[in-house]
Amino acid sequence: MKGMLFYLPVLLALASAQTPLEKLRIALDRLRGPAHQGVYELQVERLEFVRTYRLRVYTDGKRTHLRVLEPGNEAGQAFLFLGEDLYLYDPRLGRTLRLPPAGRGERFLGSDLTFQDLMGRDLEEFFQVAETQGILVLTPKPAAPTPYGKVEVHLKEGLIERILYYDQRGQAVRELRLAGYQGLNGAYLPREMELRDLKRPGHRTLLRIAEIQVGAVPERCFNPLYLERGC
Amino acid sequence: MSLLKLAWRNVLRQKRRTALLSLVVVYVTVAVLFLYGLLDGYGESLVEAYAQYVQAPVVVAKAGWWQDPDPEHGLEVLPTLAHPLIQAQSPRLSLYALLRSPYRVQGGVVQGVDPEGERALSRVPFKVKEGRWLSRSGEVVLGYRLAQRLDVRLGERLVVETGQGALGLEVVGLVQAGVGNVDFAGVYVHLEDARRLSGRGILATHVAVKVPRGQEASVAQELNQNLPLGLRAKGVWDLMGPIRADYEGSRLVYLPLMGLFMLLAAVAVVSTVYVSVRERLREFAVVESLGFAPARLAAQVALEAALASGVGLVAGLVLGYGLLWYTSTHDVFGPLMRLSVELLPEAGLSEHLYTAFRPVYGLYASLVVALSALLALLFPGRLLLGLEPSHYVKGE
Repeated sequence: MKGMLFYLPVLLALASAQTPLEKLRIALDRLRGPAHQGVYELQVERLEFVRTYRLRVYTDGKRTHLRVLEPGNEAGQAFLFLGEDLYLYDPRLGRTLRLPPAGRGERFLGSDLTFQDLMGRDLEEFFQVAETQGILVLTPKPAAPTPYGKVEVHLKEGLIERILYYDQRGQAVRELRLAGYQGLNGAYLPREMELRDLKRPGHRTLLRIAEIQVGAVPERCFNPLYLERGC
Repeated sequence: MSLLKLAWRNVLRQKRRTALLSLVVVYVTVAVLFLYGLLDGYGESLVEAYAQYVQAPVVVAKAGWWQDPDPEHGLEVLPTLAHPLIQAQSPRLSLYALLRSPYRVQGGVVQGVDPEGERALSRVPFKVKEGRWLSRSGEVVLGYRLAQRLDVRLGERLVVETGQGALGLEVVGLVQAGVGNVDFAGVYVHLEDARRLSGRGILATHVAVKVPRGQEASVAQELNQNLPLGLRAKGVWDLMGPIRADYEGSRLVYLPLMGLFMLLAAVAVVSTVYVSVRERLREFAVVESLGFAPARLAAQVALEAALASGVGLVAGLVLGYGLLWYTSTHDVFGPLMRLSVELLPEAGLSEHLYTAFRPVYGLYASLVVALSALLALLFPGRLLLGLEPSHYVKGE
């Protein structure tokens, strides 16, 4: 009986311990932040040029509506991420298009970010999660539709600090760094996101939050009909 | 017979002139043989590429699919095709997809095939350069240049995404077929995987049918008479893309050009014969005054033109067929074709081009002899028909 009492705290600690998958799930949930609207700055760096976009963002944590404010020649483009569905409004076409799921792999505004990075939960769906020395090591499930051989997720106090994508030859090809987490209404939001293409030096994308206003976002913002006129 | 002897003797009288005339005809004969051989060889290489690698000798699909090759116009039920000339048939499901490696994303047409059925139908399974051909679902075989472009290797996973689904497939083979569409754009997956990627309840988008070479159009036509409503068969020539227009355009350009070559050669022969006749008008007048009919004299001149060009024709045939034999058995145009394939990777061009070797080209080239004789009859011959012997015999 005495022995059982001795082991009880250990057993309780084990029962309450999070699995690596749970840790990943919680970290991803936290990454989405609270419902808010704001202005993001997206800087696309290449060897030959640097292009900066200003984006108006409306999100409830699960769905996101993005509008390009600057530069002038691309202003008016709008994107709506509704889980699996992705809509794009192009003012030059004057039409709203629904992109096929395959379009999620496309680069967002020519940056190193893909629509999948912005909206997806591939890390949960396509990978098996293990933990090694405090780092979540993700390996693809059999026949998973991911081109990566391994993904490392570095956490700091339960928040994602760095994601390193490896190719199938064990070489790191892509690095995502998240910084400046801000606690907002019990949720967290990284104010800076840096994505580097490790295969192409000089290819870097920075995403910064310039303005933020936490609070409920009108439901119409998540209606494709409002992509053209704004919400 | 005496006319022929006479004409032959006259031809030999001016050996240098005859040699120069023959040289013109040699040049034209070689050009005609070579151009015909090259054009036909090009056409045959296209048929070979499309029938054996890119498409199939005959393809059966819904009429809607021919208009818009989207899986939504695919086959829910596979048709039963019966024809005595059908050697093999296999369903295929082609669909547009995005191919994603860790380094690159590229669009392309994925071909869902039955691995065993494809062996009986296409040469692609036998052109695997590294690895092996498909054996089960979950695998993909790529053209080797496409694999280089995507930077994927054997044993690695390639993501294939369509609007309806995504699969991570293991690269098990790399194909090097020497045909642009296969090497630069070939993506072959198991039919079951293609069905899953299509996300529709279809079994295939079309049925590929193997028939003997040269029978494609007739078999397609006969199949069309018995196919269920809404299905249509097409022979290999109808399956070619814009490259067919290029081939037919080349024929349209080169065939009149060859006709012009032959006409110019005949004119060169006849103009020389004309000069020769003018130089010998007194001689002809004497012969005519001795009782030789003007028509026979004109025939003799025509014969002289035919003999002079005939000598060139024979030499040209020997040289031309020698050249054709060489270029039909040696890959002389390989470097040029490889460059063309690099420039137009999805045109269905083959990296090898061998000229065709057909006896009928000799018949085409011999037209220059007939043309020379005809023109000689018309011009120098007419000069002789209007000859006034007394005028020349008197030496005026």
